[in-house]
Amino acid sequence: MSETPLIVLDRVCKQYGTTPVLRDCSLTVARGEIVVVCGPSGSGKSTLIKCINGLEPYQSGSVRFDGEEVGARTTDLPRLRSRIGMVFQSFELYPHMTALRNVMLAQVHALKRPRAEARARSLDLLARVGLADRAEAYPADLSGGQQQRVAIARALALDPIAMLFDEPTSALDPEMINEVLDVMTGLARDGMTMVVVTHEMGFARKVANRVVFMDEGRIVEDRPSEAFFGAPVTERARVFLSKIIAH
Amino acid sequence: MHYQFDWSQVWQHRDLIFDGLLVTVALSVASLVPTLIIGMLIGTLGASGSRAARTAAGLYVEGMRNVPLLIHMYVWYMALAFLRLPPFACAVLGLTLYSSAYVAELVRSGIGAVPRGQARAAAASGLRPWQALLLVVYPQALRIIAPSLASLASQLIKDSSLASVIAVAELSYQAGAIEGQTFRTFEVYITIAVLYLALVLLVSFAIDRIPGLRDAPSVGRIADA
Amino acid sequence: MLEALLPEALLPEVIRQNLPFLLAGLAMTVRLAAIGIVGGTLLGLLVGVIRYARVPVLSPLAALYVEIVRGTPLLVVLFICYFAIPALLGYRTSAVNAAALGFVLFIAAYLAEDVRSGLRSVPPGLARAGLATGLSTVQVFRLIVLPQALRRIIPPVFSQYVRLFKFTSVASVIGVRELTGSALLVNAREFQPVVILATVALTYLVLCSTLSLVGRLLYARLSVRT
Ligand SMILES: Nc1ncnc2c1ncn2[C@@H]1O[C@H](COP(=O)(O)OP(=O)(O)O)[C@@H](O)[C@H]1O
Ligand SMILES: [Mg+2]
Repeated sequence: MSETPLIVLDRVCKQYGTTPVLRDCSLTVARGEIVVVCGPSGSGKSTLIKCINGLEPYQSGSVRFDGEEVGARTTDLPRLRSRIGMVFQSFELYPHMTALRNVMLAQVHALKRPRAEARARSLDLLARVGLADRAEAYPADLSGGQQQRVAIARALALDPIAMLFDEPTSALDPEMINEVLDVMTGLARDGMTMVVVTHEMGFARKVANRVVFMDEGRIVEDRPSEAFFGAPVTERARVFLSKIIAH
Repeated sequence: MHYQFDWSQVWQHRDLIFDGLLVTVALSVASLVPTLIIGMLIGTLGASGSRAARTAAGLYVEGMRNVPLLIHMYVWYMALAFLRLPPFACAVLGLTLYSSAYVAELVRSGIGAVPRGQARAAAASGLRPWQALLLVVYPQALRIIAPSLASLASQLIKDSSLASVIAVAELSYQAGAIEGQTFRTFEVYITIAVLYLALVLLVSFAIDRIPGLRDAPSVGRIADA
Repeated sequence: MLEALLPEALLPEVIRQNLPFLLAGLAMTVRLAAIGIVGGTLLGLLVGVIRYARVPVLSPLAALYVEIVRGTPLLVVLFICYFAIPALLGYRTSAVNAAALGFVLFIAAYLAEDVRSGLRSVPPGLARAGLATGLSTVQVFRLIVLPQALRRIIPPVFSQYVRLFKFTSVASVIGVRELTGSALLVNAREFQPVVILATVALTYLVLCSTLSLVGRLLYARLSVRT
């Protein structure tokens, strides 16, 4: 069973009205694998990873997570989602709750953990992302980097078997990017399966097993990271890489 | 339900209803104009740099809008009877004082929503303060508050119904008169409810079509620009 | 009880002589406002959530109700509740009950709009984040969207409450003896409109200012940190 890949997308197609957003996207992520997804803005990266936890419906193809068909009517989506952590570009912390309560919420209400246990677990995780002393702070009183680390702790609190990151550092000031990437690198070391949409090519080079390049809703490259950085096959990927590395 | 509908009696009194409708429109227009002018003035004072002006504007707003409109009507009609104002003028006075407090509050918040840098940029380019206000701040503030201003105008039309208590022969007053003669209670009140609804819809339809207001940029977009 | 709070000696003669009657009127005003606020809030929440969630069949009906009531003056709503509906359905009602019904129906339509726009103003990304952690749609609504919307709608909701408080005076037109109605009766007997109306106006002013102050304090306490 653990030999089967954790995430399998098979010819997934999605459109908004008549505009195609994903065209025949196929992707396989094995357990413990780190996959970085990059590509120009609007190429469908966010849509692709939101298909994995069923936040985006798709019109055809199939998405399987740990053997379960995400799009099937019988799938218990809340239960499935509580096994996948997700981190957003704009953090999306609940502004009316402290950092601690943000991390506790889904443990108590989705996993039905006893409050005391959820609390202890949350404090552990906040310590793990380096925020033990900010547990009682509200999101508005935290820096961007701190907010994103709370968001990572919130996702980890469900003991997920995979993590999805959608441009987790794009909204951060440069000096805060590394504190978030460090946490992510630590997770990767611990063997977490991760799909990361990012343009941080340093992180991709160092941590990713594979790099996926998307353009206009298609997956145009999907190769081991050394090979990808060595020499992208497609012209689009080459131009894209040269642009973001020039920055 | 055993109620026998009989709309013919309402139709027989259509001239009274029409007269009432005209008075409602006249009363609304006569009140709306001074309401907007006074509201703009007080609202601008409320957004000004002077503490005294802000306090005075605040007192006006709180004092006027925290007294029921009905009491405003009675005050101008009964308590100040020695002024011998005709009921229509009393109603205009009451409606204006009451509604202008709401407009003032709206104008004040609209001016507050225009980024401070706008007035500063206007001053830096050599405009005098009143020019900056007229040419740069007001146009943006008005666009921001246009939707709420439109609903205040509809509110004023509906509020004008209270002039009936001081014997201004507007729509609600005529409704009472017709009902008293015909006892067609349901038909009469539904008819005037529909007429008010039509007036209110007409106003929002018209305001939607004022050029420049329909595509008014949102506060956010103004802040970005 | 209310008598004890007033420095009676300071009151004008005509008010002092009619004090019990006027205070009974004030009590009726407070009662009507309380019924309108509680009933209107419950109905307004229900209608607002139905429209926000776009519940099939119910949502268009709710929209129709909101649009019709918001386009009708309160005076006409009260006439309809006191005269027209009882005539149509063939029942009798007291002016007080008709006024209470009218206030609930009237203010709920405005509150429903405030609830709906408050709910819509919560960024959709937050709901998505909640769903991503495995919360159900209902949990996301109850734990994330609703609490934030409630904070945001406190100012508009309290200004509706203040509006309703003032609007209870309109019940006097259908013969309810609330504050305004009682004052008009006293005036008909004593004919001292300046003193009587000034006292009544001042009473409304104080009570409405207090109510809006409560709203501001509540908002300041619960204000969303952004
Ligand atoms: N709700 C929506 N309605 C219509 N089009 C959308 C919507 N969300 C995204 N899109 C379109 O789908 C395409 C892919 O979006 P997205 O997955 O967010 O791209 P990326 O994350 O790569 O920047 C874009 O062209 C975008 O305009
Ligand atoms: Mg994206």
